[in-house]
Amino acid sequence: MSLSNPDAQTTNVDDQNLDSIKLYNDLCYDLSSLQELACRGAWRSILDKVSQARSRSLLSKPHEHLIYLSYNAIALTKLRRFNEAVAELDLVEKGLDIYRYETYPHHYPNRHGSMAPFVLRWLHAELPSRLGKRQETLDRFYVLLQFIKEKLSNNLGDESRKVWKKREALVINSIISHHLSHREFGVCLELMKELISRESTDRPVARAILMSKLGYIQMQFGDLEGARGSFGVIEGIVNEEKGESIEMMKNLVNRNKALMFMVEKDYASAVREYQECIDRDGSDVVAINNKALCLMYMRDLSDSIKVMENALERIPTIALKETFVVNLCSMYELAYVNHSDIKKTLSSWIARVAPDDFDTSCTRI
Amino acid sequence: MSSTQSLHSLAFRVMRLCRPTFHVETPLQFDPCDVVVGEDLFDGDSSSDAHRHLLRSQFASGDSSSSDLTYRNRFVLSDDSDAMGLPGLLVLPQSFGAIYLGETFCSYISINNSSNFDVRDIIIKSEIQTERQRIMLVDTSKTPVESIRAGGRYDFIVEHDVKELGAHTLVCTALYYDNDTERKYLPQYFKFMVANPLSVKTKVRVVQETTFLETCLENNTKSNLFMDQVEFEPAPRWSATILKADVHHSEKDGHTREIFKPPILIRAGGGIYNYLYSLKMSSAPTKVEGSNVLGKLQITWRTNLGEPGRLQTQQIIGNPFTRKEIDLKAVKVPSVIILERPFLVHLSLTNLTGKKLGPFRVWLALSDSKEEKTVVISGLQRMDLPAVEAFESLEFQLNLVCAKLGVQKITGITVYDTMEKNTHDPLPDLDIFVDSDL
Repeated sequence: MSLSNPDAQTTNVDDQNLDSIKLYNDLCYDLSSLQELACRGAWRSILDKVSQARSRSLLSKPHEHLIYLSYNAIALTKLRRFNEAVAELDLVEKGLDIYRYETYPHHYPNRHGSMAPFVLRWLHAELPSRLGKRQETLDRFYVLLQFIKEKLSNNLGDESRKVWKKREALVINSIISHHLSHREFGVCLELMKELISRESTDRPVARAILMSKLGYIQMQFGDLEGARGSFGVIEGIVNEEKGESIEMMKNLVNRNKALMFMVEKDYASAVREYQECIDRDGSDVVAINNKALCLMYMRDLSDSIKVMENALERIPTIALKETFVVNLCSMYELAYVNHSDIKKTLSSWIARVAPDDFDTSCTRI
Repeated sequence: MSSTQSLHSLAFRVMRLCRPTFHVETPLQFDPCDVVVGEDLFDGDSSSDAHRHLLRSQFASGDSSSSDLTYRNRFVLSDDSDAMGLPGLLVLPQSFGAIYLGETFCSYISINNSSNFDVRDIIIKSEIQTERQRIMLVDTSKTPVESIRAGGRYDFIVEHDVKELGAHTLVCTALYYDNDTERKYLPQYFKFMVANPLSVKTKVRVVQETTFLETCLENNTKSNLFMDQVEFEPAPRWSATILKADVHHSEKDGHTREIFKPPILIRAGGGIYNYLYSLKMSSAPTKVEGSNVLGKLQITWRTNLGEPGRLQTQQIIGNPFTRKEIDLKAVKVPSVIILERPFLVHLSLTNLTGKKLGPFRVWLALSDSKEEKTVVISGLQRMDLPAVEAFESLEFQLNLVCAKLGVQKITGITVYDTMEKNTHDPLPDLDIFVDSDL
């Protein structure tokens, strides 16, 4: 086991983990440490590690350089150093065609294909929007989608087809998120239609989650009947399903019911639904956050704050999301005349616990 | 949220409580297959068991148990649709935002006691003041709040349907006893402006027996408006049907149609959407002439999480209504008309009134345009017709000739009542085709 950080908070190292670590390190020099750091949100450490690997020429093969470059670009993007990330992705700009196994036959005898991780293409498309060039991002994502569709039109093996289908779904989802953030709901609905029609019936959980999101989109623009219909489809799926997947979906169903209550301003019933979720799964942070908001709309600001603070204490790594903190700070600003004190306390706690990529501007201090 | 006044133990904190929004943000979460290996690794024969294991293990790692103390959930994509960035997390309104006529203003008001002493006997009032009126929202005069302890809070939520434009002030006042024995008075003011979200323009056209009402809705707000219902409520005696464009057959998809109601979206800052209604008189016209009230529009729109706004227009007026006394119709026009050869047009004149009308005189009126008429009466330019009894019809013929080839119009056949001395509206233009002799 070559973990670089001895105080790493890993779960119990069992056989599967050992296998994973060996697998990662076989793929690329010290990859398991990179992955470990990434999962801990230690992005600054990743930048150091990549920089070291480069300066000390620790990487011997071309594909290793590309993987380290991927982690570097992700790290820079996560740390909101977008211009540097763009510079790192310069090679994508220039064309990834040269990064093929065939180009380096002495390293990769008898191997064919592109060795560039797909994330490079995705980041190349996403970054312009982070620099205010939203249209550029949309154009690039649509071009990327076309690239994937062309790939899928070839004769691919099963595993390969599965992976590229997943990537196609990823890009469609990314496109939807961009249209969503600009409230272009007509386009979103069309793209959702496509995603839903692609979703096979042997993935009930995935289908249910997708239908929920359709419901959220419909609620966002006020089509309550449509949302009710979408949520209704999920209840149908749940009624047909058995086994483990049911548990996950039960919470989904409760949360959707809660939203319908909220729309009718029946906040008490919404709280009841969210409480069922939390009792079933104490780490359902969406239920916890939304329950707190309902309490506020029921005039119970004190309890809403308690619910939020309790979650941060009990399940910090799951509850510590920027949106969660934004809500809590809004509650503080309403509840306390001298709210800067309590926000500072929160801020110091965040500084100790949060990962490198946590956007501290959410506390509005 | 206004600043505190240091002399007071109490302070009002106010937050607009429109409905929360869903948080949307493109996440930076990735599938390990997209990061740690080349994109083509799974093609062809180079796939090994190890790689397939990677595929499967990453699927299995999708669950986020509470024993997982890392921030893995911020990096690894668990469900495909996580990439949409719509987790279902709600966010409180982050700014006051714009308020529009027809919306409901809702606000959380919290009175904080930031002093070290309890305050007692608090009379709280909250009202909305506009140019025209004051509307009391909360008044605890009859049952004053007994006390607010040191560091404590008294909260309430107010709602007000916004029905006026322009400047509004939310006035919050508290009358209380603090540590001194004198009664303290704390007023706080929160101002906001109410704007008009929609402009409605209407056009009325009458084609034969049907009145068409075209309405154009323009969105003056900064966000896209989704029209929930735009209904025309016709006045008594009228009935209305909305006219919609036919849906292209390729868009009719039985399965998805139940779920996907295509949103009627009017773009922010000047976008428009048009509605067309056809109106018919539901009962026989009465003797009343003059201005014609058609009805009014009820408009409901929704913004996030179904937040409704409602407006109705003023009465929409149609064209002034004049009763027709006579009905002039072309009964027969020859199908073959030859250049410069006279032809007969058969016409009928019906007396729609209950009394005898006429005698009449018929001619071809001079056109308004500078163009010469191509179709003229052959022979005497005026025809005299006898009087017509109540509800009776009279048939007559006009001998016409045309001096130009091709599609031509017979325009301006006019009937003049020699007794009443009034000219009736001319017959609507008739199209004819004039052929050559050869």
